[in-house]
Amino acid sequence: MTTSAVAVSKVSKVFNPGTPGQVDALVDIDLTIAPGEFVSLIGPSGCGKSTLLRLIADLIEPSGGTITINGKAARQARLDQEYGMAFQQAGLFEWRSVEKNIELPLELKGWDKTQRRERAHEMLELVKLPEFAGHMPWQLSGGMQQRIAIARALASSPSLLLMDEPFGALDEMTREHMQAELLRICAETHTTVVFVTHSIPEAVFLSDRVVVMSPRPGRITQTIDVELGGDRDEDTREAGGFYEKITEVREALRGIEQPVVGGVDDR
Amino acid sequence: MTSRHAVATVAWPLLFGAIFLALWEAVVQIFDLKPYFLPSPSSILEAFVDNFGIIWDATVYSGTNALIGLIAGTVLGVAVSFLLVRFRFMTELVTPLAVALNAIPIVVLVTVFLNMYGATSDVPRRLMVTLIVFFIVLVNVAKGLRQVSPTHLELLRSYAASPTAVLLKARIPNAVPYLFTALKIAAPASVITAFVSEYFGGRDIGLGRRIPSNFANSRNAVAWGYVLGACLLGLTFYLISMAMESTTRHRRGAAPGGGA
Amino acid sequence: MISRAARRTAMFVLALVIVAAWWEFYKWVGPEDGGSILGMNILPKTTDRAMPHTWDMVGRLFENESTAADSRPLWVAVLGYAWYTFRLAIGGLLLGTAIGIGLAILMARFRVVERGLLPWVIMSQTVPLIALAPQVVSWSGRFDLFGWEWPRWASVCLLAAFLSFFPIAVGALRGLNSPPAAALELMDSYAASWWQTLWRLRLPASVSYLIPALKLGATASVIGVIVSEISTGIPGGIGRAVISYSQAATSDPEKLYGAVFGAAALGLVLYGLVVLMEVVVMRDRPQEEFS
Repeated sequence: MTTSAVAVSKVSKVFNPGTPGQVDALVDIDLTIAPGEFVSLIGPSGCGKSTLLRLIADLIEPSGGTITINGKAARQARLDQEYGMAFQQAGLFEWRSVEKNIELPLELKGWDKTQRRERAHEMLELVKLPEFAGHMPWQLSGGMQQRIAIARALASSPSLLLMDEPFGALDEMTREHMQAELLRICAETHTTVVFVTHSIPEAVFLSDRVVVMSPRPGRITQTIDVELGGDRDEDTREAGGFYEKITEVREALRGIEQPVVGGVDDR
Repeated sequence: MTSRHAVATVAWPLLFGAIFLALWEAVVQIFDLKPYFLPSPSSILEAFVDNFGIIWDATVYSGTNALIGLIAGTVLGVAVSFLLVRFRFMTELVTPLAVALNAIPIVVLVTVFLNMYGATSDVPRRLMVTLIVFFIVLVNVAKGLRQVSPTHLELLRSYAASPTAVLLKARIPNAVPYLFTALKIAAPASVITAFVSEYFGGRDIGLGRRIPSNFANSRNAVAWGYVLGACLLGLTFYLISMAMESTTRHRRGAAPGGGA
Repeated sequence: MISRAARRTAMFVLALVIVAAWWEFYKWVGPEDGGSILGMNILPKTTDRAMPHTWDMVGRLFENESTAADSRPLWVAVLGYAWYTFRLAIGGLLLGTAIGIGLAILMARFRVVERGLLPWVIMSQTVPLIALAPQVVSWSGRFDLFGWEWPRWASVCLLAAFLSFFPIAVGALRGLNSPPAAALELMDSYAASWWQTLWRLRLPASVSYLIPALKLGATASVIGVIVSEISTGIPGGIGRAVISYSQAATSDPEKLYGAVFGAAALGLVLYGLVVLMEVVVMRDRPQEEFS
């Protein structure tokens, strides 16, 4: 049996324990992700999907349970740079050029300058923006910035990519284009992805598995295998099976009691 | 910036300025105002040219005090802002103090400093400028070091970056434009403070001393000439700080919203 | 909220105690005649004349202002001077607010005025025009407006207004221009006139920009009054008291600190009034973390 890429076992997370503001963000979460798998976490605001992603990334610590990445504890995995991460904001450093932004994680790992530069250019080729190496982030469109952020996340060749609504701030056209690009990049690099989104078509189009979550307390209510095959392109969006899966995820989400007001933001 | 736009940026203020000066000159001529009441722009310019030597000396004296205070205050402000970011307790201690000092006319402390250093020392005036600049720089740079985008911090944590790396890669670069914003405020403030602190006693030299004494002797046009010198000094400091700021802004696109 | 305010106050008091302790410590270990570091004469003298004990400064407040028979306790005298300056500063702030908001509305209404005037407004603050205080004060008694003779205190208010209008004009202009395009288009869709848009949209939107501007303006007004009092020799206010006490500091150094405390209290009270206004005006708006 091969080691799973991500193994989440009996994990819970309580914010502000013992105070009036106590929030049970996640209870009893079990999730195993195989190497090379693309898994989306979907659910209404406050269901803890971003919290779960941050627990996997060891940006926050669980209140209970264990998380391993490639067989290592989450903390060790972070120290060893087992994963790359991308956020809703591209989060590029506005004082660094595009290539220097991609080099940042390598710089922190102590790579030497020529290696870093070489790697940054490979990454720019991967995201198809090689001519923008010397540009400053503000000179790029939102979609381009997000592609640079993905290049940065993949620069140190991690086997796992954690993405928190990375296309949430993009318009629909750019978004669909970015989804196709992401699938191509993941196929080329054999990367495992955990992807947080609140868009049903996005989750279905991208994923091998869609994990549906519900709020208060945050938990996994259903896991849906998408089974649309490995080669997905723009035609996939118009295939009958695509609509069936969208309906299935929508039904699963409808079963969840919706909050009356906006609810607490899960970040 | 298109050249058409540039013309409009400069032309309108120049036009307004010219109209203002012309009106002033006309009012003085038509109503035949006495110089002790309001000298005309032309007589002020004449007095400025005739007395250029002594006005220059006074400007150099006040300007030196301002510059020394500006440099000392900036260095201290930057140094302490690092401490504030490192130790949360220091922030809690200094913030209310900085708010209070901002609300009070601390320039009266010149009298206290004169008492401590002696009336013939230039230190009180320079110390006053230092103090004013210090708080402007401290508040802004500390803000720049602290208000790093949460995404950047999460990203660096995901890289397992050390606190030193976070400081070098995120906090310091983030604070640089805030420093220049602070300097843009502090540079003219240093001139005004150096100038005003001369009112509170001490050696009888500098722009702040010459202006009231010339008014008192009814040499109003000469006094206005000194005022012109003071204005040029303030503008020089301001323009230099603007030029410094624009070099950083140029590369980054937009400047952050530093406090004015 | 309450506990945070209490904590802030406690930290403020602690900060003051640390400053006082530092003062006493330096006075204890520092050289009597001052000294220099790296050739710069930056160490102050530590004699009782140059650096009185903190407790003596406070104690002096409760002794008489002078040896004259009808003298008041120092704190009463200082309070009187501060009250005089306070009224002038309020006058200056009100005048500065009126001028500032007026200019901002004018600049928001006419692009040409903004383009032509704003650079001068900004430049006026980079130069020490407070230097003109003697000239402005010399106008008092020299001309009358419709039978109202220009008094000296009005000159001081005018100078204070000159210092305080700038932050208010800049803050108000930023506030008036702050409504998003969507809100302006909404008003346009109602066929609202410019003045209706000003009254119902731009002015309410500018309030949260005006409050911090007023805080800056209040301090500027106090400084304007004090500096004008000093540079023109007008008696009765705290500025004059600071100067006359500092001239007497050789024999009575503690008295000077009484006046300095008075000036500090004055600034804090005026600032406090603006904060009070903020609490009242902003009570129905979303809370923001203020720093």
